[in-house]
Amino acid sequence: MDIIKEAIAGTLESSDVLVKVLPSQDGSLTLHVQSEVIKQFGKQIRASVMQTLDALSVQAATVVVSDKGALDCIIRARVQAAVLRAAGAQEIDWSVL
Amino acid sequence: MMKLRRSMLFVPGDAAGMVSTSFVFKPDTIMFDLEDAVAPQEKDSARILVYHALRHPSYRDIETAVRINGLDSEYGLKDLEMSVRGGADIVRLPKTEKPEDIELLDQHITRIEQACGRQVGQTRVMAAIESAYGVVNAVSIARASPRMIALALAGFDYLVDMQSERSGESEPELFYARAAVLHAARAAGLDAFDVVYGDVNDMEGFLREVMIAKNLGFNGKSLIHPRQIKPLHQSYAPTPQELARARRIIQAAEKAKKEGLGVISLDGKMVDPPVVAHAELVLRRAEAV
Amino acid sequence: MTDAPPGIDLNADIKLDFQTINLQEVPEAKEEIRDLLQENGLDLDEQVDIFVVCREHGRLVGCAGLDRDVIKDVAVDPSLRGTAVSLRLGSRVLALAADRGHADLFLYCRPEHVDWFRGWAFHPLVEVPGVMTLLENNPLNLPKYVERLSRERRPGKRIGAIVMNANPFTLGHRFLAEKAAENCDWLHLFVVREDAAQFPYADRFRLITEGLAGIANLTIHHGSKYIISRATFPGYFLKDRSMIEHSFSAIDLLMFREHIAPALGINCRYVGTEPFDATTNSYNTSMKHWLWDVASASPPIQTVVVERLIIDGLPVSASTVRALLAGENFAEIARLVPATTLEYLEKSFGPAREPASR
Repeated sequence: MDIIKEAIAGTLESSDVLVKVLPSQDGSLTLHVQSEVIKQFGKQIRASVMQTLDALSVQAATVVVSDKGALDCIIRARVQAAVLRAAGAQEIDWSVL
Repeated sequence: MMKLRRSMLFVPGDAAGMVSTSFVFKPDTIMFDLEDAVAPQEKDSARILVYHALRHPSYRDIETAVRINGLDSEYGLKDLEMSVRGGADIVRLPKTEKPEDIELLDQHITRIEQACGRQVGQTRVMAAIESAYGVVNAVSIARASPRMIALALAGFDYLVDMQSERSGESEPELFYARAAVLHAARAAGLDAFDVVYGDVNDMEGFLREVMIAKNLGFNGKSLIHPRQIKPLHQSYAPTPQELARARRIIQAAEKAKKEGLGVISLDGKMVDPPVVAHAELVLRRAEAV
Repeated sequence: MTDAPPGIDLNADIKLDFQTINLQEVPEAKEEIRDLLQENGLDLDEQVDIFVVCREHGRLVGCAGLDRDVIKDVAVDPSLRGTAVSLRLGSRVLALAADRGHADLFLYCRPEHVDWFRGWAFHPLVEVPGVMTLLENNPLNLPKYVERLSRERRPGKRIGAIVMNANPFTLGHRFLAEKAAENCDWLHLFVVREDAAQFPYADRFRLITEGLAGIANLTIHHGSKYIISRATFPGYFLKDRSMIEHSFSAIDLLMFREHIAPALGINCRYVGTEPFDATTNSYNTSMKHWLWDVASASPPIQTVVVERLIIDGLPVSASTVRALLAGENFAEIARLVPATTLEYLEKSFGPAREPASR
């Protein structure tokens, strides 16, 4: 999927995560994670986000994730929503999510 | 065995905290709401959130429903695709006005079940009656599809449509709608849900309304806050006398079965199968408080 | 009372109404918002048109202003501070900004409120002690920018900087750059990025490059949102010139001192005297204060004020050229700008005719 514009998904509220997806400026895939529990869960959060991006074939983007203690499925859902918005996608292939 | 449907907890589809954890409150049914609870700009994100919840192990053992947007909106069909593919037990169609609304929904669900390999017919349907037209068509709506399992009366929109307002007390303005929806449901063998009670801080008023609905025969009620669940279950629980009587009826039925008798009798009177079924329901309501 | 898992606020008031309003269309809301801001120690920024507001039973309890990619004028009723209201308000304004094409945002707040906005996923960039703090919500941006800049470092004892709008580029601009380059081992020149000027950025940048082609110890840098931008120095772009005296340049200057100058080793900044444009004049005065006088962890930067080039008894200025352009007085303009600028002006704004031979 090609990231063509800036988009966000999610909220700042507890148990949620705010995901920001921006077009890449240099063709790379850059991920930055912020979380109150970065020490305990930072690695898992990164892994979930990268897997989700990979499943959607996102190869170039800048992704900033601000976590407020969200469960794994919430993180994946918000990343998917942000990517689809940033790609201007109209249809969803549910088998990929 | 008849599924208990007393409490149907509405969960806004875009509330991450609630969507992740509302199973802990153990309502009889979780209703993920993609319609009125979710702003238009957030409907796409909420849809994905609910999809993940539907497929999550935490929700495997609890009955799940999704209130989709109307099929005439730009969101409805997408909501439906997600709900069927996500494995929702029930799809709730808002603002159902005529049987054709249900027929159309049924056709779409069949198509999607076939496309995604889900057993055709497994997805059930609940119709929300929210207008005068819906009320007068309740009977034909209830019969419009073998997928139908319940009718729900949605009070707020119905009263707006009727140009009426809630009076707060005995509420004659809802009487006809309640009676019509109930009769239509019973005649078609469906469950019936009473209206939402909006003031979550007024437990007394809530319980008064619950008793009215229960006495009329409603199976349950739509809830908008977890704190309404337990009181509702308790209200539906039988009194000790009712429970004792129910147990005696069931014992009599088992005894008759063991002895190969075609007729059940208790205290010298015949007991019909519907009475036995009701006794089983009473027992279940007592066990699942 | 039902036990709730973490993250579920069973007492969350579900009777809050959120709304996005445009003050141009709903001027009645202005006084309400101004009152709420004043309760929170803030003045209403007259530049901000778009607000997300939060009402409880009709009463205004929260507001957040949005000006393109800058959030400001955020206030929450004291009774609701520390509740989820602020996070819901923040979520709404972020969604609104993203909808309007801006996901990376700046935010202004009072320094004592910075922690509140960390909850909004913002982190502080620059603080004017006791007055205001500038924050942004993408932790990658400024470091990436600084890293890119630092690749352009040049050796030398005296490294100079000019920030130039050049609207359009004149002989006066060339004079300033030449003077600075003569007195420095290297000169870094930044072009103001915002397209609020009469001449589009691309044209201004090109005219500067062409006009300074002869200077060897010079790097011309593209402008950025961190140097005299709508975010760092909104006053610079005010349409209402009567507000100029109140324009606040500290944030922009501290950003320069604390982040941009260190990346390139800049230790002096050159400006021309400013007889005409009041905003630029007060900016130059502030410069000495924030770049030199004020104590800071970052090294002080010397401000060098260069007397304007004078031609025919008058200081050469871009505003003069713009005025002459309005009157299509190309003969006069020709005396104040280099050939490259004149050619551009004639082509873009002159009547269709043979270019004058020079």
